[in-house]
Amino acid sequence: MFYHISLEHEILLHPRYFGPQLLDTVKQKLYTEVEGTCTGKYGFVIAVTTIDSIGAGLIQPGQGFVVYPVKYKAIVFRPFKGEVLDAIVTQVNKVGMFAQIGPLSCFISHHSIPADMEFCPNVNPPCYKSKQEDNVIQEEDVIRLKIVGTRVDATGIFAIGTLMDDYLGLVTQ
Amino acid sequence: MADKTMSISVPCDKPIKVEKWKVKQGAFVSQGQILFLYNDSSGNSTGLKKFKAVRAGTIIAIKVKEGDIIEPGKSLADIEECRHPTVMKDMCAECGADLRADERKKQDVASVPMVHSVPELKVSEELALKLGREDADRLLKDRKLVLLVDLDQTLVHTTNDDISPNLKGVLHFYLRGPGSHGRWCHTRLRPKTQEFLESASKNYELHVCTFGARQYAHAVTELLDPEKKYFSHRILSRDECFDARTKSANLKALFPCGDNMVCIIDDREDVWRHAANLIQVRPYSFFQSTGDINAPPPLNDEKSKMISGKNGSLPTQLPTLEAEPDKQETPKDKSDRGIDSKENNSSAKETNENNLEVEKSTEPEPKWVETFDGQIEIEDADDYLIYLEDILKRIHLHFYDVYEKMGNNHIPDLKFIIPEVKSEVLAKSSLVFSGLVPTHQKLETSRAYLVARSLGAEVTQDLTERTTHLVAVRSGTAKVNASRRMGEAKMKVHVVTPEWLWACAERWERVDERLYPLQRGGQSLARRPPAHCSSPPPAPPVPAMRKRTPSGRFMDTINPLMSFSSDDIADMDREVEDIFNESDESSSDEEAKPPVDDDDDEENLSEDRLLALENTNISQERLQEKENSSDSDTDPDRPKKRPRPSTPPSDDDIPPDDDDSSWNLMGAALEREFLAQD
Repeated sequence: MFYHISLEHEILLHPRYFGPQLLDTVKQKLYTEVEGTCTGKYGFVIAVTTIDSIGAGLIQPGQGFVVYPVKYKAIVFRPFKGEVLDAIVTQVNKVGMFAQIGPLSCFISHHSIPADMEFCPNVNPPCYKSKQEDNVIQEEDVIRLKIVGTRVDATGIFAIGTLMDDYLGLVTQ
Repeated sequence: MADKTMSISVPCDKPIKVEKWKVKQGAFVSQGQILFLYNDSSGNSTGLKKFKAVRAGTIIAIKVKEGDIIEPGKSLADIEECRHPTVMKDMCAECGADLRADERKKQDVASVPMVHSVPELKVSEELALKLGREDADRLLKDRKLVLLVDLDQTLVHTTNDDISPNLKGVLHFYLRGPGSHGRWCHTRLRPKTQEFLESASKNYELHVCTFGARQYAHAVTELLDPEKKYFSHRILSRDECFDARTKSANLKALFPCGDNMVCIIDDREDVWRHAANLIQVRPYSFFQSTGDINAPPPLNDEKSKMISGKNGSLPTQLPTLEAEPDKQETPKDKSDRGIDSKENNSSAKETNENNLEVEKSTEPEPKWVETFDGQIEIEDADDYLIYLEDILKRIHLHFYDVYEKMGNNHIPDLKFIIPEVKSEVLAKSSLVFSGLVPTHQKLETSRAYLVARSLGAEVTQDLTERTTHLVAVRSGTAKVNASRRMGEAKMKVHVVTPEWLWACAERWERVDERLYPLQRGGQSLARRPPAHCSSPPPAPPVPAMRKRTPSGRFMDTINPLMSFSSDDIADMDREVEDIFNESDESSSDEEAKPPVDDDDDEENLSEDRLLALENTNISQERLQEKENSSDSDTDPDRPKKRPRPSTPPSDDDIPPDDDDSSWNLMGAALEREFLAQD
């Protein structure tokens, strides 16, 4: 799910940036340090929309570095258990398939793919195919899946998905 | 699994009527999935209620029929809890349960990483077996086998060195390292790689199995197979290897039903623990200064040495390398080699002769030809993949021959098939070695013997009536002469150089003997098999290089005082004292050694006495050398600066008399210098 929320971040700035461009540097540094990161609580920070305030800088004693507390608003993407999302298939193998939902990787086990779909390793690229051959899922296809579990690490979130529910599976354009 | 079964009972305290089951017996249900619709007889008109599964699992029994009215407390169905057969990052991929939170559940969870490139994805052994069986069945149905392909020095050669950017046929790519610094890699595909992959993929399911890092492995595979039609995602790299030194540990995980149908091509035998289903290929080396950049640690130094080409086994391969243009014609152009075959062969023989002579003097340098568009084209005579392709075809054919003969789903084992195919190469041949195996070594333990036996040849100690080939290092040995006499007596024995045997072992075919004739008076360099014909020797031969002191004098490298123990020196001192005391009465044949720095003493001695002394010195030294050579750990008579092998050299690396002769040479040089000094 996407959220537009207020967040805070502290920017540590080297004294060499002290000058007329100082605040621009702080903003620039915020974008590079925050966008694309992932925290367990808020999920992936997709984009910073507004910078609300840059607080008073505090010079670190003995160092000369300065710390700016920054308040900003950002769009974050936080996957939840039970959420239905559209994903792009990245890899298909005999154990299941991997899909990508923007920055989020997701694995769908063979068990969670409808039983009438079988793994066909001999075609290139490999795919899951139903018996009537009317339903084929292969790499680069868009599928709709439901998240059944998430693993939150220090560096990212990984999700387990399923196709075993109504209206899940291949999305036909 | 009784403890994991739970029954579903009526959800409320009133009797309910089950209207419709949404699941079937044996079906897998995930958490929250609707199991059945029911109507609680409360009378209100909300219609049907849904019953959702509390936990994920498999329905093992449905105990009530649709339309039944069930009293509270009665069981409706049994659900077996999820056994977590597939686990991704410690999270069940079926029910989404976090297995890290519950240590207890870790007991019997999945442990087999079945997908090459994703080690975090693990499946239970049960499921792995099932998938493995499916794989095997599919392969048999398609009449395919599995081929594990190594990258470095098997199909490609990569260097990180700076090289000229306009080399033709060299591909460049940049690998981003951890942090900001990456590295440029320059990769040259082995000639005929595309053809080889194309042909091999018809009979084999190809997997990459390399010690390169994941990023590198994927980048090179992308170069080899941009459409992903050969390898797909079957890439196993260093990051997924269980063991930093061998690749064999991963076999069990990738092929849970056994490696019966797995064939391996690699330039390194040790990383597969000398598996029987390995075809060791001739290492491909294009960039002269670089070895295998991804070689596993233990044998790194040897590898680089081998490639450096100054010593070791590379020169021994040269004749085969250079002879190949001729050789290439022999198997292929058999059809149009009718009338002029004799001409062809004689000319081939001649060129081969020439090559042999040329190679003794020159290092192999690839021929660099600059084309008009500024690209440097390099002639690359490597055509090993043609032979490898043929070997793989033969193995495939043999496997399915045996498979069909065995019938009813017995799967033959490639670990037996491959040695079998190999042993057909020189079947019905009987070899005799001359000068190939050091005299102090048993024939059965020599590598040449093992190579010949693996090719199916019989090896005897002496010439017999059945002998077909004499593999001789130099002409003029008793066996060579005997075979020549036998040749006159209408018993044809091919007299060939060891290169013939190595070529057979390399190509798995009976190479035409006429390409490797033993020259009269010639001596072959290839006593040792090239590395790919055998396991790499445990210790590389020590380069015969002695460091000289700044003065350049040989004598300075040996301090005579160092060669005597303190007792000896004390003895000598005493003797000298005696001589002085006896005041020139000593007889000339007395054994004494004056300290070298004692000039007065030398002046006292007559000229011939000095010479005699020198001789005794040297003979004494030699005596000591012989004594010390037996206890190799502490030999103070050796020059300290001589580089010594870290491990004892293996028996056939150095000819038995080598050591003695080198010492003799040193002795002679020492003698000369002593004399010149006077």
